[in-house]
Order: sequence, then C-alpha cells, then structure tokens
Amino acid sequence: MLELRSVRHRYEPNGRLVLDLDAFAVPPGALIGIVGHNGSGKSTLLRLLALLERPAEGEVRFEGKPVTPRDARALRRRVTLVEQRPVLFRGTVRDNLGYGLRIRGVSRADGNRILESAAERLGVQGLLGRSRHELSDGEVQRVAVARALAIMPDVLLLDEPVSSADRAAAAAMYRVLDEERRARGLAVCLASHQLEDAYRWADDIRAIAEGKLSPVTPENLFRVELPPRSAGAAKLARVGTIAIAVATEREGPAILGVPPTDIFVSRQPLASSARNVFSGKVTRLAHARAGTVHVTADVGVELVAVVTEEAVRELGLVPGSPVTFAFKASAVRVF
Amino acid sequence: MDFLGDGLRRAAQLLLSTDAEVYGIVFLTLKVALVATVIACGLGLPAGFLLAGSRFWGRRAALTVVNTALAFPTVVVGLLLYGLLSRRGPLGGLGWLYSWRAIVLGDVVLALPIAAALSAAAVQGVDPRIRRTAETLGAGAWRAAWAVAREARFALAAVITAAFGHVVAEIGSAMIVGGNVRGQTRTLTTAVALYTSQGDFGFALALGVILLALALLVNIALQVLQGRGHA
Repeated sequence: MLELRSVRHRYEPNGRLVLDLDAFAVPPGALIGIVGHNGSGKSTLLRLLALLERPAEGEVRFEGKPVTPRDARALRRRVTLVEQRPVLFRGTVRDNLGYGLRIRGVSRADGNRILESAAERLGVQGLLGRSRHELSDGEVQRVAVARALAIMPDVLLLDEPVSSADRAAAAAMYRVLDEERRARGLAVCLASHQLEDAYRWADDIRAIAEGKLSPVTPENLFRVELPPRSAGAAKLARVGTIAIAVATEREGPAILGVPPTDIFVSRQPLASSARNVFSGKVTRLAHARAGTVHVTADVGVELVAVVTEEAVRELGLVPGSPVTFAFKASAVRVF
Repeated sequence: MDFLGDGLRRAAQLLLSTDAEVYGIVFLTLKVALVATVIACGLGLPAGFLLAGSRFWGRRAALTVVNTALAFPTVVVGLLLYGLLSRRGPLGGLGWLYSWRAIVLGDVVLALPIAAALSAAAVQGVDPRIRRTAETLGAGAWRAAWAVAREARFALAAVITAAFGHVVAEIGSAMIVGGNVRGQTRTLTTAVALYTSQGDFGFALALGVILLALALLVNIALQVLQGRGHA
C-alpha cells in the first residue's frame, strides 16, 4: 500500500545521511513494529511515510504509484501520524477529536457520534470537555491516538505511542489497534523502543540502526572501535566489561550486531566452536508471539537471546538464574 | 506642571466642546490609521507566514530586507512617495498627493515591514508540531496556517497593535505627502507639530492627550477581543 523505494534522506544538501533504505513497504492490514535506538532514524522514517516530508532522494509510492507533492496533500487524508510527543490544538478534547472530521466535511451529528466512539475505545470519553492544559502526558497520547483513529485512516503511523502510558492503557490501545486492523484492514506502523511491546503486538519487527534497516534487533547493537588487523583470525572488540570476538576485516568505528536467534543458551559453559562464551544471570524473560521467549541476561553487558518456551522450561530459566550465552565470531554482524 | 494641567484641561474642553475642527482631525486620524493598519496587516501577516513557514529561494534575503525596513526613516519614505506621487512622478496621474490616501500609502509602506517581520517571528515561535499535526490530520495549506494562527493569536494581536501604534503616531511621511492641509489632511500628529511651531503649546498638548487616549482605546479594544478568544 505505502512504500519507500531507494530513499536516501538528509536535512541539509551535504549533511549527514539520516535515512538510507532500499525498500520499506507497509502492506494493508500490517502491524509493523519499528525498533531502534534514539536517533536511529525511526521518526524521520515515519515522517516520510506520513508524506509530511519528501525524501532528498528516492520515491514514496502509494498503491503502486509514485506520490507527487500534489498527491501528498490528498493522500494525507488517508495516512496519519501520531508523533512521539503529540500536541493538542487549543480548545477541548472534543474539539480536537473533531478536527479531522470537520476538515472532511462530516456533519456535526455524525462527527459527534464518530468521535465519541473513538473516545470510548481509547478510554478518554471522560476527558471530552477538558482543555489540553488539564491533561497528563499519558492522556494527551491517548487523545492523540483517538483523534487519529476518528478519521479512519488507511495507514496509522505511531511514534512511541505509549511512552507516557501505564501498562493497562498501553494494552488497551494495542487491543484497539488490533481490532481496527481486523475490522477494516488498517495498516499500523509503530516505532517503539519498548521492545517487549513491539514483540508482543507487532507481526513484523523491523530494526533500524544509523538510518538503515538492520538484520538484527537493537537489543544487541553495540557501538565499538575495531582494532587494526591482527595476527589472529578474529578481532576482539571491547564492549563494556567484555570483549567480543568478531570475524571482520574492518577497522575503526563500527556497530556490532549479535542476532538474538544466533545465541546459544545453556546453564553452564559448553565445549563448542563458539569464540564468544559469556556467563551471567537472567535479568528478564519476555514472552513474544509464536511460542518464543526473549531472554535478557547481564553477562557484563546486557544481551538478549531468543529461544523457545520449551527451552526455557527445560533449562529452568527464571530471572536470577545463572546462564551462559555463546555465539560464533562469524555470527557477529558489523555495520 | 501648570503647562501639563492646562493641556489636560484644554483637551477635556475640546472634546466636550464639539469643536468641528478637532473632531475632524480625530476622525481623519482614526480613518487613516485604521485603513492603513488593515491594509498593512492584510498584506503583512500572510507575508510573515510565508517568510516563517515556507522554504523558498531568497527567503533569508527577504527576511533581511523586511527586518532592515523596520528602521526605515519616515521622512525618507515621505520623500520617495512625494517623488512618485508628484504631478511629474510615475504615480502623479492618481492625483493622490496632499490627500488622505497619500498618508495611508505612506503609513502602509512603513507598517508593512512591521506586520511582516513581527508576524514571522510570532509564527516561528509556534511549536512546529502544530502545523505537522494539522497536515497529518488532512488539513491543506490554509487550514494548517489557520491552526498555527490560532496558536499565535496573542502574538499576532500584538503585531496588529504595534502596526496601529506606529501609523497613528507617524508624522514624517504624513507631513510631506499629506501637506497638513486644514480640514483635509491634518492629522493629530501634524496638527501637534503645527500648533507647537506656532507657540500654542496648550492646544498642541491637548491634541497630544487625545492622540494618547485614542491609542489607549484601540489597545483596550484589542485586549478585550483577545480575552474573548481565551482558552
């Protein structure tokens, strides 16, 4: 439905490349989680998808056709973005929820019915008469999501939509998004640094690092200084208190990625070909979709491994358990 | 102090006396100032929005020109307009020289940079997320600009007040292109200058007090309007 092709974006003509994507597609009915560190390019990507900015190079396509500036104005009625720290217009919450509907020429009666339904689903119906100064940050976020849902977009882009919400409010919001998606094929693209949320609610996780799509999720991304060529087969890159063995020719500053699915998890160190073996304690277990568990352990740095629920049961892993993570030097990606 | 007291007393007497000449001067001053403010703000506010909100080639240069024009001497504007409007000037055919229209033209030229520069600053002070939010909810350029204007309403009201204050107190250009013709182009400022030069300090001060009262009234009216829009 919505697609970026060969997009390279920078804010100044010779400035830093903030986004470099060969392809990024948002199909109808998708629930995509975009994960990445602060400054990785998530918000820029969402602004390009929202047709609020034009890429310096490359094109944005909607339903297979390139989007021209003239198209962008019309298509913005079908694609909407809720920013990381959303703002409300002056007036009441009701005025805000009705803003997009008034623009679309929806009658007052119909508009009230639609906005009240959106407010109820997001649990903000009690706030309709309040002005923005009377709301907490979490309430502003929920109102902003309700305001976006009220206009029934085809694509909803959310930038850290629950950063100020409590767990119950976040779960309620994700449920509403899922219902909308099932009911009418709404495509949702949400950027989050709360990885548990992304894994729990999104079908498709896409990691972004330094403006590029990364094959590994950002839990195990580390900025390092790679030493010059050495006599040994693998280089050692210092990350916190540990040294990670990496098979690479690169030197100087780089980003290391350890794919969570490439980490072997055991209770004790095992004899193997893995050059990287680190022992520590489990700090967190997060149950994701499809029967997998994200095991976070402090092994000198925080590393995340993805294993099956069955493996967690067999190894008896609980927070605090001793654990060993092992991975090959050749499994470490270098960017 | 007697001088000031006399001035205030004479101002009150003049207003109560229903003196046709005084009321004529007050009416003309108000008419010229209001017409010039409306035209200057009608052109200057959209220009300010354009300068603040759009990216186009030469935007920085345009902002520099507008900011420089804020300090344009009023007598120089009067002189240039005199050249344009005089019988042999390119706009001589309009026959505006020594008419209230010429004073309005001078005031517009002087107030336009004020309206444009201050409204650009007002718009730049609005959170950029307001425009983006309006656009992402489907607003076109005009509606998005209106959403920004609503956020900047106090600053924009101050722009209008500043423009009005400038034109109501302007004298250099009004004197040159208006000519201070009794009953036709004599405004409060040109009348104050005339009566001061004639040594009639009391009358000049009385007209000055009326001028101040006029400015005060317009400011109060604008503040009342702002108060109604409070939320």
